[in-house]
Amino acid sequence: MTWLLRRVGWAVFVVWAVVSLAFVVNNLVPGDPARMVAGVQARPADVARIREQLGLGAPPLVQYARFWRRLVHVGPRDVAKGDPVHSSCGVVIALGHEALHVDLGRSYQLGQPVVDVVATRLPRTFALALAGLLLQLLFGVATGALAASRRGSWIDRWVVGTSVLGVSAPTFLIALVLQIIFAQTLRWLPLDGFGKTFADHARCLVLPALTLGVYGAAYYTRLTRDELSVLLQQDWIRTARAKGLPPRGVLRHALRAALVPLVTSAGLDFGALMGGAVVTEQVFRWPGLGQLAVTAMLNRDGPLILASVVVSSVAIVASSVAVDALQLRLDPRTRARS
Amino acid sequence: MRSIRTRPEPLAAALVAAAGALLGVPLGCSGPLPAPIAVTGDAADAPARGGTLHLASFTDMRSLDPATGPDGLAMQAVTLLYDGLVDIDRGSNVVPDLAERWEIDDRGRTYRFTLRAGVRMHDGQELTADDVKRSVERALHPTTPNPQASLFEGLLGYADYVAGRAPHLAGVVVEGARVVSFLLAEPDAAFLTLAALPSLRPVCRSAGERYEATFSPCGAGPFRVEPGGWQRGASLRLVRHEGYFRPGLPYLDAVEWQFLVVTNSQRFRFLAGEQDLVVDPTQADYARYVRDPRWRPLGVPLVDNTTWGEAMNTRMPPFDNVEIRRAVAAAVDREHYALLRPANMVPASQLLPRGVIGYDPTIVGQVYDERAALEHMRKAGYPYDPATGKGGWPAPVVYTVPDQTTNFYTSQILQQTLARIGIRLELRLVSWPAYLALTQRAGSSAFHPQGNTEDYADPSAFFDMLFTTSSIRDEGSANTAFYSNPRFDDRVGRARHEMNPVARRALYRDAGELLCDEAPWAFAWGLHDFVIRQPYVRGFAAHPVWPLDVRTVWLDRPDEAGRVLRGGLR
Repeated sequence: MTWLLRRVGWAVFVVWAVVSLAFVVNNLVPGDPARMVAGVQARPADVARIREQLGLGAPPLVQYARFWRRLVHVGPRDVAKGDPVHSSCGVVIALGHEALHVDLGRSYQLGQPVVDVVATRLPRTFALALAGLLLQLLFGVATGALAASRRGSWIDRWVVGTSVLGVSAPTFLIALVLQIIFAQTLRWLPLDGFGKTFADHARCLVLPALTLGVYGAAYYTRLTRDELSVLLQQDWIRTARAKGLPPRGVLRHALRAALVPLVTSAGLDFGALMGGAVVTEQVFRWPGLGQLAVTAMLNRDGPLILASVVVSSVAIVASSVAVDALQLRLDPRTRARS
Repeated sequence: MRSIRTRPEPLAAALVAAAGALLGVPLGCSGPLPAPIAVTGDAADAPARGGTLHLASFTDMRSLDPATGPDGLAMQAVTLLYDGLVDIDRGSNVVPDLAERWEIDDRGRTYRFTLRAGVRMHDGQELTADDVKRSVERALHPTTPNPQASLFEGLLGYADYVAGRAPHLAGVVVEGARVVSFLLAEPDAAFLTLAALPSLRPVCRSAGERYEATFSPCGAGPFRVEPGGWQRGASLRLVRHEGYFRPGLPYLDAVEWQFLVVTNSQRFRFLAGEQDLVVDPTQADYARYVRDPRWRPLGVPLVDNTTWGEAMNTRMPPFDNVEIRRAVAAAVDREHYALLRPANMVPASQLLPRGVIGYDPTIVGQVYDERAALEHMRKAGYPYDPATGKGGWPAPVVYTVPDQTTNFYTSQILQQTLARIGIRLELRLVSWPAYLALTQRAGSSAFHPQGNTEDYADPSAFFDMLFTTSSIRDEGSANTAFYSNPRFDDRVGRARHEMNPVARRALYRDAGELLCDEAPWAFAWGLHDFVIRQPYVRGFAAHPVWPLDVRTVWLDRPDEAGRVLRGGLR
């Protein structure tokens, strides 16, 4: 329990530090968000008025304090339409007549509450991250185990060679190949988009998930192969073999031992993917957080930038905590150390 | 007639196609283009009603509210959703739209519009003069994020209204159910063209009196938004407004955009007949289209309405010396620039682009002459000998350029060109927002590219903002050359109020020649979009102001009703 509290406290500190750093950097880098809203050719008087409307007239420290004060606060349970104080809030938990609100402000460019934008896009990013990671693990562990069990054979060499190719190929190239094969030529799957129904979403998810799967699988192939290769030379494996355990059983035991580094990598990868698979989302028009973050950066859309940083940092920190917890279960040595 | 619904290929063929395309992609030459989709009719056919026009864009649509000063992409939809009191025709003339006529009184201070009878908005309500006043006040209200509001600062009572001292705009007067007048403090020859801008386009009563971000698009244009038809960041579908006041129009049942579609995907869709136009294909694709006799006639260059120049800060060395500026203007090889993007770029030797009203082809402007450039360097006191490489400006000049733009490439040409007259450039690559901030700040950037696109059909859209003394600010200056010349200010100020077209043209000519001579910018290149269309898209032509004007487009595609869209889910 103490361990968990310590980890959560550390996680909160990390999120605070990362978001604060993002706030400082966003304010130091040259660029006027009001100009980005108004357009290149807007007259100074119009830019100045828009700057005031966006609340950018206040000093950065005041804006910083306002951001944290508003991030989580208590407000009315039902927000009236046009309520000037809580119109950009998202209601998280009802507390009697009141409720816990989350307020990430209003996007400068979209004019929408950032909470709404994030709430719409987060599940899509989650779906893509999860599907992509599962495919990476599926392909990676299977081929890695195959290569390790046939070490030195032509299968091993082929798997290693292919994984080098996979690691080297940028995602946009993999995406393009998949689009040409499955969308343009075979016409089995949509080229891009998100669709309107659940079935549409599922069909649209296949190619971007496959892209991430192919790209990341190469890494897991190498990791699994290398881990298993070392483990399969261990004394306890030799003993198991000497006792007559069939090769499949040996591999199963070794795989369990190889899980620790795999879980660590997968957990951290999942956190990173939750920040958004930028290129993949862009090519496939998958409307997730990565696409949003890039647009926000290009437009100096402060509230969206901070929201993206909050989501990414929370995802990475949460994944890291989850990985630590899983390691405790998987590896008795870790349990003993903590 | 050729069938456009192609059969799926076997897997082996798909792999071959992928390999072939991959080999070709980097070179931009992935095999011969498929034939355009055949049509049965001929060019003389009468327009047919029906069908959906499918469009796509690399960017997203931000707002459909005319009060928010829509940008290029949003303007494509806004011109379909909202009609104005007046419109600009393809010859750049102001023509009646929702107003059937207008009168100009008080020597250009009063513009009185009489609305057509029986104009129905998308919600079925009849348009009245009160709607016009309410819409204008909504668009110009100080709480509205309208980047074009100050274009209307000449209206009587504007200052009080935007400062919150007056509840209504005194300069907009309802004189009857169908008559509305605009009162100006001073005559304004550009007001009629300004009246065609989105800010003055009526919106439905449901929009209320003040701007709300939750506004549901509703106007009097030929199309309306289909319920649930706008998926932000994904797509927009407009359908015909059956109550549109022009009989028989629009021809199309619907117009549909897909947003954030990368260039490759647009090409796939277009060649498969699932996207009907492509705006600005890659230069490699452009080369393929114009080389192919089947496709060449289907390319439509849009109007040249943008000028880019090399802006020189007249308050910073070395450009505080007019002879150095003249040397740069003479050294710029405009033809060389234009080779970078033949689909879009043309040489520019003066401020106004060729497609803008007021462009004067008789102005010689700035011309490329390296010998003259060297002579200007000598007069400036920094002679340069190209044979020995000695002389010239003694220190490198920092040139601020936005990365990942065409300017990144033009800057390298400029660097090579100016080296030949003794000016060495040091390129400072920055992001687009940083570029804007640095170049618009006094004393921050000596040399940088700057462009301007026509906002409204009048020379003042170029002259008023970019070079007048009143546009100079310490931060956010529109005049990034910080150029100040009382004679120029006088000519431009008088031209704005001059109601005689001949006298007005002479004033702008004088101002334009002054700019060419004093060279706060070395005018470099003009820009236009390029559109490639399928042959069944009829009635499409370039518009001088509105980007991608499809109001009179019709489809001549026999299988339109059963068109199968597979390229992406709709």
